[in-house]
Amino acid sequence: MRPRLSFEWLHACSGCEISLLNSGEGLLGLLERVEIVHFPLLMDHKYRHRADGAGEIDLPEAEIGLVSGGVASEEHLAVLQAMRKSCTTLIGFGTCATHGGIPALRNQRPVADALQTVFAGADGQGAIPAAMAGQLDRVYSIDEQVKVDVSLPGCPPRPETIVEVIQALLDRDSLQPSEKSVCETCPTMRAGKGQATVRRFLANAEYDPGEPIDKMRCLLEQGLVCMGPVTAGGCGGKSAPLCIRARVPCRGCYGPVRPGGNQLLDMLNALASNGMHHRDLVDRPSLLRFSGAHGLLRPVRRRN
Amino acid sequence: MNPEPVIIAFCCNWCSYSAADLAGISRMQYPGSIRIVRVMCSGMVHPEMVLHALNKGAEGVMVIGCPLGECHYINGNEMALARSEVIADTLEDLGYERERFQVAWLSSAEPERLVEAFREMSGRLAALRAPVPTKAAAGE
Repeated sequence: MRPRLSFEWLHACSGCEISLLNSGEGLLGLLERVEIVHFPLLMDHKYRHRADGAGEIDLPEAEIGLVSGGVASEEHLAVLQAMRKSCTTLIGFGTCATHGGIPALRNQRPVADALQTVFAGADGQGAIPAAMAGQLDRVYSIDEQVKVDVSLPGCPPRPETIVEVIQALLDRDSLQPSEKSVCETCPTMRAGKGQATVRRFLANAEYDPGEPIDKMRCLLEQGLVCMGPVTAGGCGGKSAPLCIRARVPCRGCYGPVRPGGNQLLDMLNALASNGMHHRDLVDRPSLLRFSGAHGLLRPVRRRN
Repeated sequence: MNPEPVIIAFCCNWCSYSAADLAGISRMQYPGSIRIVRVMCSGMVHPEMVLHALNKGAEGVMVIGCPLGECHYINGNEMALARSEVIADTLEDLGYERERFQVAWLSSAEPERLVEAFREMSGRLAALRAPVPTKAAAGE
């Protein structure tokens, strides 16, 4: 019997799954080796046996489970726990699952405020949909709720890496998590000290479009807030990081370099210890735009 | 809850730790809930260490180094000063009051200033802990 794969998505956008489908020939090789038993994005499947939708969530058994998205509601939590029960190895698939991702930006405010702002409109009139009931107190990454065996961050994860990780699990090869930052995989020119001021986010980098990336000056040294130093690398594989290839600064989508790191604090620290004015940054909490789970983003305590 | 706020104080080996030593020898009194962590230089205290202390339940964190311009490692305390601004600015983003963090600069011959800084910090944190008076309690 071929090893079974089970996919599930929680507070996610389907980008991770699309990235898997985008992995080209690697996907064909993978599909010959595995059987996909559950994939709500691609295949129809009923979660519960009873017609009225009540009772335990019932997911098929699988050797490898991939969960994308964070945990924001009781329903997400129930599905996640059912996945953990039915899968031998559970992979946190994408940054939302491993670090909270974009949905965890909501953690900056209390749930009631967030719902009010999003659904009730500017005038405060209107109802919050019944489907939004049962929200947890904040958005969690899945490793805060259940044991996760492999973390595969990225927004989305690099297609080739997804296939490589699943293949490695099938072959029982050891997985070696990369501990390199984006900077360590970036070929741009570094000249030591850069600008002392942080430029506006809308400002473009200075480069010659005809020349390759390794002839471009480091974006951080140009005064752009590039989150390369505090972000886990791997987005570009063996070549330059993806955003740098597009000549824009890294946005931090692979989460912190070390587990438990805080991208906001590390980034400001990196700016301050290199003599840049961190107060030029307008919106500091958004440096945690991809890693707001694990209690990193919290509502500011009100002063009385 | 601890009757006195637990404070983690990172003291540099050359000035503030010696000052704490001298305070002890001189039998100066300061709140017993202060936990001193000796570091070689205040400049080596990474903001993550401060945040970790708070996340693990410390009510306040202090970084105490040599007087500015007199660092044993030339400019380590200036690095600490730059970082302290980052920490103070960031704490509120991360859900802590900025009063929970304090830097101080003093030489090894100034134990009384160290003790004063400890007392002030402890008092400030105790005030943060005090329940906010409600309208009814204020006496209407």
